[in-house]
Amino acid sequence: MNSEWQTVIGIEIHAQINSKSKLFSSSSTEFGSAPNTQVSLVDAAMPGMLPVINKFCIEQAVKSGIGLNAKINKKSIFDRKNYFYQDLPQGYQISQFKDPIVGSGSIEIEIDGTKKAIGIERLHLEQDAGKSLHDQDPNLTFVDLNRSGIALMEIVSDPDMASPEEAVAYVKKVRSILRYLDTCDGNMEQGSLRADINVSVRKKGESLGTRCELKNLNSFKHITSAINFEVARQIKIIENGEEIKQETRLYDVSSDTTKSMRSKEDAHDYRYFPDPDLLPLNLDEKWIEKIKNELPELPDEKKDRFITQYKISNYDAEVLTSDRQTSEYFEEVISNRNPKLVVSWVASELFAALNKENLSIENSPVNSKQLGELIDEIEKGTISNRAAKEVFEEMCVSKKSVQEIINDKGLIQISDTSEIEKFINQVLVDNPINVEKYKNGKTKLLGFFIGEVMKVTKGKANPGLLNQIVKKKLDN
Amino acid sequence: MIEFNKKITLKLAKLSRLSLSNSQLENLEKDLTSILSFIDQLKEINTDSIDPTSNSLDQNLILRDDLAEDVLSNEKLLQNVPESELGFFVVPKVIE
Repeated sequence: MNSEWQTVIGIEIHAQINSKSKLFSSSSTEFGSAPNTQVSLVDAAMPGMLPVINKFCIEQAVKSGIGLNAKINKKSIFDRKNYFYQDLPQGYQISQFKDPIVGSGSIEIEIDGTKKAIGIERLHLEQDAGKSLHDQDPNLTFVDLNRSGIALMEIVSDPDMASPEEAVAYVKKVRSILRYLDTCDGNMEQGSLRADINVSVRKKGESLGTRCELKNLNSFKHITSAINFEVARQIKIIENGEEIKQETRLYDVSSDTTKSMRSKEDAHDYRYFPDPDLLPLNLDEKWIEKIKNELPELPDEKKDRFITQYKISNYDAEVLTSDRQTSEYFEEVISNRNPKLVVSWVASELFAALNKENLSIENSPVNSKQLGELIDEIEKGTISNRAAKEVFEEMCVSKKSVQEIINDKGLIQISDTSEIEKFINQVLVDNPINVEKYKNGKTKLLGFFIGEVMKVTKGKANPGLLNQIVKKKLDN
Repeated sequence: MIEFNKKITLKLAKLSRLSLSNSQLENLEKDLTSILSFIDQLKEINTDSIDPTSNSLDQNLILRDDLAEDVLSNEKLLQNVPESELGFFVVPKVIE
């Protein structure tokens, strides 16, 4: 990108609260059910129905607000956001406009070791809409209201990001915090977390440019591609002497471009007003304090603790704490074991195996207890690190215990000095010329002898001991 | 005070999905203007030291526990709809 241009990015994240029932009705929120089977009279907006708010959803919003280091507003108000669309039976969405439940806050992102604070403008509660299917019939739209009324938290950032990398780091961080708090499952594929990205460009030192909103991005890859395309598009327009039109755009995966969403002129006249069906929400200070005190350790704190407690690198700590389940798995394995060994087994071997099968750590074929047992065998010297990799591969596909696999494969490391000596003596006898060369100063041949012993022992000789003994014998 | 003219009244009708005849529009314009001027009397009161009120009831919002219940069956939900298929509501194609 031409360096005289600056990109300004602000993000709205819609995060689905992981409640069992909807925000204002008792219908289930289960994903993937048959169409229109989780729709109550309230969700279908039958006349005379009244919304009753879900206490758990309020608690989750407060928890998330605290996790985003934000101000919790003791009084908040629900408003009607009016618009007409076929998947919005009420004709309005219940949302929060002037008085959201959570006010301003701030989180930290880190890119290549450099930290940056990103402001949070607000977090408010609102209802999700239903789902429209436009591809079932050329002239008709099919509507499923299962999602209608599910509780969402809309988290609005300040326009503090300046690159796609920062935008992705921000969404990842918010997702990580919500997953730690267990307020949203963060499943982007199922749409539990989606981002609307506001992008504008300006020349250095100039005031903010006109922004475009990129709607409903549900993967980190799409966020990056959509921003890159949009920035290039806007710069080109301005350099051609034209003006950016403020509009909503959709990212099209197949063409890797963003396209204007045709919308009617008056589509954004929402005519917000307080919902007369709902009273103001007043939060008790003691209740907020109680939630604060029960908050789990969050990713930043955990990362700092990992660095001091286990003496691992900033990078490793970041990798191991960005996901709560991973951090818990790591700590289950570590107990009294060697941190370096555990980091390498979790962050390299385990991650590689999970990536290969496209599994999350919750569905790991090797649980933390089993991985711990394997690492114990390495630490005890029963098997070499190399043999352990072979055992690990087997553990990923079979239900056998570590011991069984080691026995079945005959991988037990030979750590008996006298036994190793026997193998070495044989190798020395078989290679008199090389022994002579070594004694005449060609000490590089040490590796040759070690290799030969490994060959005859099928790699089972304890490498540390072997090295020591071979050296001792040759140097004598 | 907002002066109601035909343009504003038409826009409101459109947003409300109401189809109104010219004479209805004219009457509505008059009614809305008089309603607004009636409401405008409130501006005479000094409210500087009063918090905005969003609801006149002096009560707290009623909360319910997070319990998922069996609600309407699909058949019952779609019982009165003009058109449905495969369990979906079916409407004329709308793409924004």
